[in-house]
Amino acid sequence: MSDEKPYRKLETQALLQQIAFRHGMEAMAASEEGNLAWVSSGFPVEIPVAMNVFPTYPEQSGAIIGATKIGPEVCGFAEDLGYSQELCSYARASIGSTDRPDDVAMGALPKPQAFLGCNNICGTILKWYDANSEQTGAPVFLLDTPPLEAEQKPHHRAYVKQGLERLIEFLGKTFNTTLEEDKFREVADLSSRAIKLWTQSLKACQNKPSPLNCADRFLTMAPVVSSRGMEHCTEFYEVLLAEVEDRVKQSIGAIREEKIRLLWDNIPPWFILRFFNQLAARGVVFPADTYTHAWSGAVEGTDTDSLLDGVVDIYSNVYLNKNLDAKVDKMCQLIKDFDLDGFVMFSVRSCKRYSLGQLVSKEIVTEKTGVPGVVIEGDMVDSRLFNEAQIQTRVDALLEMFV
Amino acid sequence: MSFPEVIEQSNQVLQALVDAGERVIGYVYPHPPHEILIAHGLKPSLVRTNPSVVGAYEASLQTFSCSLTRNLFSQRVSSSFPLLAGIVFSGNTCDALQNVGDIWRKRFPEDRVLRLTYPVGDFGEASVDFLSMEIEALSNELTGLYGVAFSESNFRTAALLLHEIRDVLQLFYTVRLLYPSLISYNTLSNLVGEFLTAPTQEASERMKGKWEEVVEKLDTNQKNTVEQLRESLLNQDLSDFEAEIDSANHRIAVIGGMVEPSTLAGLMENIPGITHTTLVLDMLSFGFKTVFTPPVSIEGDPFRESARSILGAHSEPTQEGLPKRTAFLKDVLTKLSIHGLIVCEQSFCDPDEFEAPSLEKAAEEVGVATVKLPLDSELSDRARIEGRIQTFLETINAS
Ligand code: SF4
Ligand code: SF4
Repeated sequence: MSDEKPYRKLETQALLQQIAFRHGMEAMAASEEGNLAWVSSGFPVEIPVAMNVFPTYPEQSGAIIGATKIGPEVCGFAEDLGYSQELCSYARASIGSTDRPDDVAMGALPKPQAFLGCNNICGTILKWYDANSEQTGAPVFLLDTPPLEAEQKPHHRAYVKQGLERLIEFLGKTFNTTLEEDKFREVADLSSRAIKLWTQSLKACQNKPSPLNCADRFLTMAPVVSSRGMEHCTEFYEVLLAEVEDRVKQSIGAIREEKIRLLWDNIPPWFILRFFNQLAARGVVFPADTYTHAWSGAVEGTDTDSLLDGVVDIYSNVYLNKNLDAKVDKMCQLIKDFDLDGFVMFSVRSCKRYSLGQLVSKEIVTEKTGVPGVVIEGDMVDSRLFNEAQIQTRVDALLEMFV
Repeated sequence: MSFPEVIEQSNQVLQALVDAGERVIGYVYPHPPHEILIAHGLKPSLVRTNPSVVGAYEASLQTFSCSLTRNLFSQRVSSSFPLLAGIVFSGNTCDALQNVGDIWRKRFPEDRVLRLTYPVGDFGEASVDFLSMEIEALSNELTGLYGVAFSESNFRTAALLLHEIRDVLQLFYTVRLLYPSLISYNTLSNLVGEFLTAPTQEASERMKGKWEEVVEKLDTNQKNTVEQLRESLLNQDLSDFEAEIDSANHRIAVIGGMVEPSTLAGLMENIPGITHTTLVLDMLSFGFKTVFTPPVSIEGDPFRESARSILGAHSEPTQEGLPKRTAFLKDVLTKLSIHGLIVCEQSFCDPDEFEAPSLEKAAEEVGVATVKLPLDSELSDRARIEGRIQTFLETINAS
């Protein structure tokens, strides 16, 4: 038996660590200078960045807490404060690590001067930041992007745009700063370029073999979440895309022997990313997932007003802000475009917005595409809510269908 | 009246309405535009949870959907709902309702599922603009679905009716706070229950009749104090309210989200140590917050005025505004001499579960004891819940 690993590590991963380190240092400095905001993953970060407010991401810190396997302990700190174990584990990890930063080896964030949340990913974000705000005394700004039933209606657009105007005012007052058009355009342009490069890397996974597996994408999406609009983020995705294209040119797959191509739905269980590597050993690759494909589109415009219109478009239309039909359509499209044999839906107990509806959409997706799927249940950070043996049995049952 | 009796009675009322040719439209979130619905010839009725219906949701919802949505779904699966002409789900209030509305449409395509999307907070005119457009869109949809156009005169009548109902219920709430021996919590919760079942003229007459009985027992000074407190509660500002409150007996308030006053009245009924003056106030979404909603003005544009009224209500845990809610809670606890606070948490309800620690902290800061009460719609752990309340009361009594 060969010692060779069933998957191939990306060389770009080394650069990723550097970026994470750099981001952490800059966040610390920004906190000391009174310029740090904690920001939700779907927040139009181009605006604070253009106003010299440094963003850092508690969801990413939740992922780190999960990956370093201290999730149950840190979530437990929040539970000690009275927060139910039924709540989102990103939120619990954040509340817990804010309460006891010295007891968290990795993942506690420096103290912010403001919380910037956007409910285009969920309603939880508002409640979570309210709790954080009580802990730290820093104010919350909530950008309200009401969920879309179908096409975004004009009054929804107008309302979100008014929210952006309030945001600029809030940042101006809180951080004593202004939004300059040139800077805004520059940041939006950098952000768009990073997103385009990232999207190209994702699209490259339509190739067979797929140059990236799930875990690769989950890790390399970090900069587009945390640093879009900054120069080094765009540079990172240039390097990643080059490596991906090279793999495609040479027919090098993310896993050594690609036999079954599946779609992954939802956030990954960060504490057990080896789950994907174990499946790789059985020839299973995940060329697409709904999580990393939630990012698309670019903020475009010629002046502040049109750039704000672009922001309204992009940030109202994120995957989690759409209805069940749109989610089903997206999954069917990915299955078709990436020529996938089936799908795995991770029903994340933490995340009602992402997970409720999966039992129904599983049936519809299979009906529409003819490919089978399975729903497995667990959590992304809190490993107490993850039954590995049970999940294995379910995934085995799915894989047997492809034999 | 026990909660199952409330449901039984509510179903009878709804059946009678349907038999009389009325169209009943259900709503799930506590702030529907009642007046607009009535203006389309509909009778708005709260879609209630039913503790006797369990576990028929599993093919469509995971166990971590909140207990309220699981229960409603189970009722629909087992066809135990009263005859509804449609259901209005809310959008942008909580993740559970957002998604369950979509799931409902898929599973029961024959149902008329409507959606009213709310702004997440009160951002002044921006929120009024948004919500009024949503209400107008809902109104247009109702016209299309039922063939009954919005009627200006029905709207005016409805605005008057709702004003009367809320007005008298506000008085009951206030009297309960000031002179709890004059109206029992049970009676109050039954009257609120009638409003939630269907805000009809008959219900309004019954409430007014009851008020005649109560008001007789108040002297002029007391009437003035009632009016002053009612205004303060409606304006969400107790800073100017000064009155001597008889706090010789222990006074308990209840707070939390989507729980009905009758559920609590039912729970409290048999607990040793509870007297008829113990539970003086609920600050629940389906009780106090629905009742203390400012009236809809009939002067301006109906959709805007309706939006203004909804946004003028006490904010929900689903909305932004936690600091304002905790500040108001502290005022209520101190100015109204509350000794203990019961904080309800619906199982798997994010808004409740996130807010509970802050509410407990606020109460502790003003020296009021609290207990957290995890609930589900089936009250599956009833004995333990009752035990918890009893122990809490004993602790307060001992202090
Ligand atoms: S995991 Fe889900 S509930 Fe938690 S913050 Fe993310 S989108 Fe919201
Ligand atoms: S507010 Fe809570 S109880 Fe009400 S539907 Fe939402 S999650 Fe369920």
